[in-house]
Amino acid sequence: MGDSQKGNAKEKDVRLSNIIAAKAVADTIRTSLGPRGMDKMIQKADGEVLITNDGATILSQLQVFHPTAQMLVQVSKSQDIEAGDGTTGVCVIAGAFLSACTSLLTKGIHPTMIAESFKEANQKAEQILMGVAKPVDLAHRDSVLDAVNTCLSSKVVHQNADVLAPIAVDSVLNIIDPNTATNVDLNDIKIVKQVGGTMDDTELVHGLVLEKGAKHTAGGPSKVKDAKVALIQFCVSAPKTDMENNVVVSDYAAMDRLLKEERKYIIELCKKIKKSGCNVLLIQKSILRDAYNDLSLHYLAKLDIMVVTDIERSDVDFIARTMNLQPIAHVDEMSADKLGKCAIAEEVSIAGSTSRVVKMTGIEKMGKTITILMRGSTKLTLDEADRSVHDALCVVRAIVKKRYMIAGGGAPEAEVALKLTEWSKSLTGVRSYCARAFAEALEIIPYTLAENAGLNAIRMVTELRNRHAAGDVYAGINVKKGCISNMWDEHVVQPLLVSTSEISLSTECVGMILKIDDLVPVR
Amino acid sequence: MGEIFKPGANLQKGEHARLSSLIGAISLADQVKTTLGPRGRDKILQSTGRDLSVNVTNDGATILKNMVVSNPAAKLLVDVSKTQDAEVGDGTTSVCVLTGELLRAAEELLTSGIHPQTINAGWRLAHGVAQKALLDSSSDHGSDAAQFKEDLLNIARTTLSSKILNVDIEKFAQLAVDSVLRLKGSTNLESIHVLKKLGGSLSDSYLEEGFLLDKKIGIGQPKRIEKAKILVANTAMDTDKIKIYGARVRVNSIAKLAELEAVEKDKMKKKCQKIIDHGINCFINRQLIYNFPEEIFAQAKVMAIEHADFDGIERLALALGAEVTSTFDNPEVVKFGECDVIEEVMIGEDTLIRFGGCKAGEACTVVLRGSSQHLLDEAERSLHDALCVLSQTVKETKTVWGAGCSEMLMARAIEDEANKTPGKKANAMRAFAKALRAIPAIIADNAGLDSADLVSQLDAEISSGSKTSGIDVITGTVGDMTDLKITESYKVKSSMINYAAEAAEMLLRVDSIITCAPRERKNPHGRRGM
Repeated sequence: MGDSQKGNAKEKDVRLSNIIAAKAVADTIRTSLGPRGMDKMIQKADGEVLITNDGATILSQLQVFHPTAQMLVQVSKSQDIEAGDGTTGVCVIAGAFLSACTSLLTKGIHPTMIAESFKEANQKAEQILMGVAKPVDLAHRDSVLDAVNTCLSSKVVHQNADVLAPIAVDSVLNIIDPNTATNVDLNDIKIVKQVGGTMDDTELVHGLVLEKGAKHTAGGPSKVKDAKVALIQFCVSAPKTDMENNVVVSDYAAMDRLLKEERKYIIELCKKIKKSGCNVLLIQKSILRDAYNDLSLHYLAKLDIMVVTDIERSDVDFIARTMNLQPIAHVDEMSADKLGKCAIAEEVSIAGSTSRVVKMTGIEKMGKTITILMRGSTKLTLDEADRSVHDALCVVRAIVKKRYMIAGGGAPEAEVALKLTEWSKSLTGVRSYCARAFAEALEIIPYTLAENAGLNAIRMVTELRNRHAAGDVYAGINVKKGCISNMWDEHVVQPLLVSTSEISLSTECVGMILKIDDLVPVR
Repeated sequence: MGEIFKPGANLQKGEHARLSSLIGAISLADQVKTTLGPRGRDKILQSTGRDLSVNVTNDGATILKNMVVSNPAAKLLVDVSKTQDAEVGDGTTSVCVLTGELLRAAEELLTSGIHPQTINAGWRLAHGVAQKALLDSSSDHGSDAAQFKEDLLNIARTTLSSKILNVDIEKFAQLAVDSVLRLKGSTNLESIHVLKKLGGSLSDSYLEEGFLLDKKIGIGQPKRIEKAKILVANTAMDTDKIKIYGARVRVNSIAKLAELEAVEKDKMKKKCQKIIDHGINCFINRQLIYNFPEEIFAQAKVMAIEHADFDGIERLALALGAEVTSTFDNPEVVKFGECDVIEEVMIGEDTLIRFGGCKAGEACTVVLRGSSQHLLDEAERSLHDALCVLSQTVKETKTVWGAGCSEMLMARAIEDEANKTPGKKANAMRAFAKALRAIPAIIADNAGLDSADLVSQLDAEISSGSKTSGIDVITGTVGDMTDLKITESYKVKSSMINYAAEAAEMLLRVDSIITCAPRERKNPHGRRGM
């Protein structure tokens, strides 16, 4: 029949080595799954150290060489893009699928056949998941909060989940229209990280936070009420043409005159800026020439204008949208209607550190953006918090995309495994075999959860299976209490999208790895 | 004997040369033959270069193109495959495998002492018969639109069945046919833009009517335009520099410098005004647009898109029906692009710009989603193959049955003819027939089937007069193609046989191989050559 294979020895070797390599990657990060998962410390080539629990981050730092191992890394990246969370899970499942394949292959089943049967099983699995999912109303904030809490529970920052989770939920709900949105552009949420204080000091700012303090060298103001903010893209310094130029100085008097002229030129600029009514000035970074100099800072300070310099070009878009202002690229174009208005713009110093930020709140006609000011005691925790919040935001996004939630704690996987096994009995031939292997492989998730929590994995999984067979579809592993319980009651929930995309992405990747029979060196 | 050749040069003669060229070609064909058919396997191409990049592919042309081949005959095979790729886009593996099989059959004849030229003569006869048989077995539904669309779908399914896209074959077949039909008979695949975005799974891919551009709209400019009038340009929007090396201005006061700066700015402002005066509401530039012009455009409520890459801008101009402009003094001669709506859309995490309802109706974008870059690359190649074949079929509307049916019909016709042909040529013709039969055998072998049994069963069916029997690889039996709907393009088949026959004939005529002395590499910097 068309579903068996007669491979040669080399073909088997290549396939086996592919599977082993991919599994090695999966096994590396398996221990970081779940609320009791462990973190990894990564020492980069430049000596920098990174501590993380985020699968996507670990994998992107791993310098894997083997081609199929690279594919697994990519799958995790893809999950990160699609769902944002479950980046570890997707690899673990892919690894389990591959082990299932090894035994199917030794039975002599044709690899393409396995791939096809897996694909079918995947579709069935999606249906099953849909069946146990519950629709969510975004207006019902608590249920979304539960999902975010579940996501954060496995992170380093889980003890701060009660602070971070509401921030994540609120920030997303703030920038979308809950009734119509089908996707969330996470670029609309700006995360400003500042070392100092603790993670509990993290706050959501309905306004704009600039990572730099105001310029003080000339004694300018650091707090402005009824601020009129201008974002300028021209430079407040001596003129420079695009063509190369020389200023020829022939005698002492000329030099004096030059200085005077420069001063005059800058005063003129500053006056024009002031004339537009601006009292907070944001200056874009310039690589071609000085964006500002001491002289201009001095005059601006005299005119009571607060100055923030070195705004990155990539941030301009965000600032413009948030403040509802127009960036100004020429001094003659300065006019009142291009300025953004806000109730208060002030420089705030961060407790426990020397750095300062500029906060602008009470913005008039504010765009649909929001800023999270994140705090942490060290750079390492701050970075990890950033990644965790990103995951949390993604979870909310996943719910916005597909407004269903399912139970967590290995419940959906156990349920799919059970139903698929039943379904496989209705099939005949190789398909049935493959579907059953697919189902069994999914049990890796509850198994790993239990194992990482130091529980007796086999007892847990069999009990879980038992409960599901008895019709308790929401039964999952309660890692905190070390028993099986109803996950909805425990508020351990996750977006449907995370689970479905975990399974479908790993199926796709495994299908591709299976079809490979040769490794050809090319130029 | 004295030295005839330069040191390092090499001459192989007679049997030796022939053997070396035959073996080279056959072994290369054997390398790729496992990728053939719906149960064919993929290969990893591991680059030995600096970047160590990895490709996973099932596409014969891609594998052959990248392989490191030193045998001259094998190189010829690579070329044949490339030609097939350029000409029709698909059947690149088959052409290579058929050449290999022809040579394998020839080897036998050679050892039994038949002169290569006799073999060639026989092959030419066989080739003629084969082409005629193929033409006879083809059907043409070019005049019946509904039936023809069905044909196209079948061809797309057949082509895709051996590729990665067979996971969602119905969808992709439909997608490929839809996009090719939009071309309205043109074979210019330029207007079908394939966009790869990581994330999601292959089944999330879709056909977007209109054009997608992976760029950002300038700050403060309208994000949505209806009834857009578009100017596509390639001009410097940073500064109009004098392009003379070392040009510089000398001034003796800051005021003069300031004046000069103002003049420069003014010049740019005038240029922008000129562009705006065209009465456009969207401006797309290949080069950067600096902050200053961007602001002017924003004020005029013109959408300005900067840094559209070269390939992108050509395609965009084609899709929008615009011409790329670089001077703005004569608004009356400029050809503007038009489209119904320009808006931002989100795919995965990225925001893209969509041009909907383009003037040139054929433009469309296929958005491919997938779990890894390798998958996306391979999906693009597969889709490209399918699009090539389909666009060729739209031009040459004849179709033939696949799954070994047409090969067997040809083989049968050749053998019938051989029986009537006197002399040694008949042997050569039979060898040709044998080579053709090897193709269905390989497809069956790849699926783990008993090829010898199946092929003889199929041969029996064909010999007893059936014109539509073929191997059903999925069930492992001989089936009727009218039910299975495995259809292939006549053009692909015909050119495959043409190229394979030509290449094999050429290799067979070889009786000596002269290897030139490798060029001396001078290493003035002490670097070691390869």
